[in-house]
Amino acid sequence: MIGRWLQKRRFMREHRWTSARMDAYFDGELSSRERHRLEAHAGICPECKRMLATLRKTLEELRGLSRDPSPPAGLADSVIERLRGQG
Amino acid sequence: MPRLSTQEEGALVERAQAGDRLAFEELVRRHADRLYAVVLRFLGEGSEAEDVTQEAFLRAWRGIGGFKGRSQFYTWLYRIGLNEAKRRSARRPPSGKLTSLDEHPHADAPDWSEAPEPRAAEGELREVLQRAVRSLDPDYREPLILRDVEGLTTREAAEVMGLGEAAFKSRLHRARLAVRAAIDEYLEEER
Repeated sequence: MIGRWLQKRRFMREHRWTSARMDAYFDGELSSRERHRLEAHAGICPECKRMLATLRKTLEELRGLSRDPSPPAGLADSVIERLRGQG
Repeated sequence: MPRLSTQEEGALVERAQAGDRLAFEELVRRHADRLYAVVLRFLGEGSEAEDVTQEAFLRAWRGIGGFKGRSQFYTWLYRIGLNEAKRRSARRPPSGKLTSLDEHPHADAPDWSEAPEPRAAEGELREVLQRAVRSLDPDYREPLILRDVEGLTTREAAEVMGLGEAAFKSRLHRARLAVRAAIDEYLEEER
């Protein structure tokens, strides 16, 4: 009984710790030990596992947005033309 | 076009500050496309991104004497561009609000992380993502674009926004969660 209560308390502590460090995990701000700690909890916590997976997917997709669309051709030239037009 | 070193760019900025327009034109050539991309992401497709980019450079040229060189030239430029974009955006009717995190509970939702690739076309997911980004309040959209789309470091992106790193991270966190919730909801429907 006490063992189970302690286990649950430890799980919740790890859950809070992990939830607060998801951004830092993806931003490369965690030490190797902290990364392992976070991944170990996500391995047994469905909520954190899902959060980690969707956040990873979201960040990959966001990074992909930078590839499109292409800027209009001659954009710099048209800026320079306006600058020259202003004297 | 190869990237300039900090020293080379600094030299161009100094020449531009002394009134050398050709040096400023070189800075335009180096940064126009990237500034356009940032502004376009902020305002959305079919927007006035090209005009805002042009206006930002005109303002930068007029104000280059006030650039102190404490930050990178491009972070100063992005700030001018995004301020102009925000001015224009404020004149438009609102397109949405920051998605409430409370509207997307996930504690009891099934785990799909091991599932195979979503069946829906990637294009559809991209559309969901773009819609979610557009619906963010500008104060939250900006950090997401600078950090997660354009790949600036936290320090650079916070500098563009004129925020401390802690305040910047807090906004970025909320923005990521809101967009993640939209992606999660979409993927859940696709299951």
